[in-house]
Amino acid sequence: MPIDVGRRPSVDHESVRLRLEETWHQPPGLWGWLTSVDHKSIGKRYIVTAMVFFLLGGLEAGVIRAQLARPENTLLGPDAYNQFFTMHGMTMMFLFAVPVVTALGLYLVPLMIGARNLAFPRLNAYGYWVYLAGGLFLYISFFLNTGPDTGWFSYVPLAGPEFSPGKRVDVYAQSITFTEIAALVAAVELIVTIFKNRAPGMTLNRMPLFVWAMLVQAFMVLFAMPWIATVTQLLAMDRLVATHFFNPAEGGDALLWQHLFWFFGHPEVYIILTPALGFVSMIVTTFTRRPVYGYPAMVLSLLSIGFLSFGLWVHHMFATGLPQLGQSFFTAASMMIAIPSGIQIFCWIATIWSGRPRFSVPFLFVLGFVVLFVIGGVTGVMVASVSFDQQVHDTYFVVAHFHYVLVGGAVFPLLGAFYYWFPKVTGRMLDERLGDWNFWLLFIGANLTFFPMHQLGLEGMPRRVYTYLQGTGWGDLNLLATIGAVLIVLGMVLFLVNVVMSLRRGALAGDDPWGADTLEWATTSPPPPYNFAYIPVVEGRAPLWEQSGELPAVAGLRTDVRDVLLTTMLDAEPDSVHRHPVPTIWPLLAAIATTILFVTLIFTPWGAVIGAPLLLLSLLGWGWPQGREHHEEVMVEQQG
Amino acid sequence: MRPMRVVADVSGLPRTVFGHRSLMWWGTLGFIVIEGSTLFICVASYFYLRRNFSTWPPEHVFRPALLIPTVQAVLMLASNIPMRWADRASSRMDIRGVRNGFLVCSVLAVIMTVLRWFEFKSLHVRWDSNAYGSVAWATLTAHGTLLVLEMAETIAFTVLLFKDTAEDRDLAGASDNALYWYFMTGVWIPLYVVVFLSPYFM
Repeated sequence: MPIDVGRRPSVDHESVRLRLEETWHQPPGLWGWLTSVDHKSIGKRYIVTAMVFFLLGGLEAGVIRAQLARPENTLLGPDAYNQFFTMHGMTMMFLFAVPVVTALGLYLVPLMIGARNLAFPRLNAYGYWVYLAGGLFLYISFFLNTGPDTGWFSYVPLAGPEFSPGKRVDVYAQSITFTEIAALVAAVELIVTIFKNRAPGMTLNRMPLFVWAMLVQAFMVLFAMPWIATVTQLLAMDRLVATHFFNPAEGGDALLWQHLFWFFGHPEVYIILTPALGFVSMIVTTFTRRPVYGYPAMVLSLLSIGFLSFGLWVHHMFATGLPQLGQSFFTAASMMIAIPSGIQIFCWIATIWSGRPRFSVPFLFVLGFVVLFVIGGVTGVMVASVSFDQQVHDTYFVVAHFHYVLVGGAVFPLLGAFYYWFPKVTGRMLDERLGDWNFWLLFIGANLTFFPMHQLGLEGMPRRVYTYLQGTGWGDLNLLATIGAVLIVLGMVLFLVNVVMSLRRGALAGDDPWGADTLEWATTSPPPPYNFAYIPVVEGRAPLWEQSGELPAVAGLRTDVRDVLLTTMLDAEPDSVHRHPVPTIWPLLAAIATTILFVTLIFTPWGAVIGAPLLLLSLLGWGWPQGREHHEEVMVEQQG
Repeated sequence: MRPMRVVADVSGLPRTVFGHRSLMWWGTLGFIVIEGSTLFICVASYFYLRRNFSTWPPEHVFRPALLIPTVQAVLMLASNIPMRWADRASSRMDIRGVRNGFLVCSVLAVIMTVLRWFEFKSLHVRWDSNAYGSVAWATLTAHGTLLVLEMAETIAFTVLLFKDTAEDRDLAGASDNALYWYFMTGVWIPLYVVVFLSPYFM
């Protein structure tokens, strides 16, 4: 702390708040919405957009389950079925799971670390627009009967120019590029924000576990996403300009695709899971009213999950014929990642054991997560064994496994997080009774849907077939799975009803309805555009529990411009003051230029000649300094 | 909102900082990691695809010409001298030094971009001839994109620095631009070895 002015009387300066409001508010109307650089405004639309895609992906799953409910069904033909399961996978992985957890991070991290915004607010806006454009592009193509149809991992040679003529696979490749750019800019955004914008005193050792989880996730995105972004470009080039990366006739290699894809694809699962582990830690802390047991062990587990997740990719390729040593290595690595995951589970159990649990809806979802995730984890250890994997490869056993991991491991904590932070975002509580029904329908529905798939897989039912014959005997279990899917749909309808009703008539939340310990609960619900009137000073891991009355804070930032405080990376000592940008249209224009570039590139290499200069121009417009003021009157926060 | 009590005043903190104290430095580092990964993937694919051929370059393909690529590599390395000079001038708040350094580097960036065009010709193979050609072209293109971006940014900064409205923080920005320049030119050296020299000994 550079200038300690000692303890001063409590400050509640209405004039400071009014000036901050004026400086940080989003302009009204559509223009304000299009030009916003507020992490909360963008975070909210990010979350809503991702949830819309979740519903679309869910509807696709519903249609798939309806088709498979009985043998030799004719609801979907093979071509439509291929598009449906591909769209379901792509939507859930690229348009829902990663974006929604990232969006929650973009919304919550600045509030949790006592910052006024993310480090690069315009980049955040750009990321959202690019993501939206990618999602719209994919769905418009789908409705034009050009939806991708080669599965979410789109193996060559099936996805190559020879076996997939037309534009469907190009849509696959390019829509992924959109979403990966969005994920990458969000990752840079989060890492820099967490490193440089933490409240004074919030050393790395005092960061909330969700912030740790987002930090680890952002690093994983940073190292994993370039792989998929690059490999899809190589595929697009094979298809557009006749390169030969994956064409064995000219020295290319189909397995190269699998290596490059899965080097991204396996960390992807943990990119989705890691923030969910953060949600769980936060919810467990609040609803047991005690700090999570084993904070250092939890942090180290998150870090080791991040590292280990990059050493597992080949277990997706056991059926391709690998050297014995490779098989053993990747089996061992795959089993090893169960250790840090297990440590986390034991720490939560110890926390619940020694705390006083309140069984509110967010906590129910956490308990549901523990059950489902453990089941998914155990089958994960099973498929890590090469001999077992060879038997169930590409069967419904694998489908069961990864749905337990993803639905149990990510969707349940996510819904828990929704119930938990909804009051902060909207100022109103979600209804608990509807929430209970929501939980139980989903929990029973998920088990009913996915558990029978283990047996179907063991009986040899392959994944990605649009129907099966009567004589296989798979009809009953498939029907059971479809009934489970109906329960999931009902549960999600209840969730939507709850959200809509609570937005209008939900009980008012107040600042801190759960009695939680982290900084986001110190501000109003919903938070003002500037987040905190004064930047809080943190003296421990649970600032709100440790300071029952007034929070210590720093003053001295200007209130007439968007000043933010930067702190040092390790110890969060106040270090410098940074000027934040004001609302601007350039991120949207840059996203439009990006879209023109990517979409035209599907049809002609000359797309680069049209799109790239537009993108460059928009980036120059973005970076060009605007409205430089020189000698204005300086207004700073009062200091009591 | 929780009531707060002020315990410290931060109004005296600096507003222009350099290196790891600056947000932009970290942001630039993030993009260096992303783009470095992309280039690494090109190199990994290069060696992976190598295994599918008995000779490298494949039969009936000439080895790449070395004159222009070597000139380019030397120029890339040498360009760090004026950029480093500009970088140091920026931390001294010496705007004239930064302007001169950026002017020189803008000219160099244009020359390097033109040379890149001739480097493609030096490969002696088309992208659609075989997997060797594909991966060599992809590596040059991936790095070429960074080169063009850096050229645009350096020229834009040069224009900005020559205007009257240039501020202290533009100098910090120029220093962050220098970080990216070191990366873009430095990473070319191993890529040059892989794409142009390795066909002579692999």
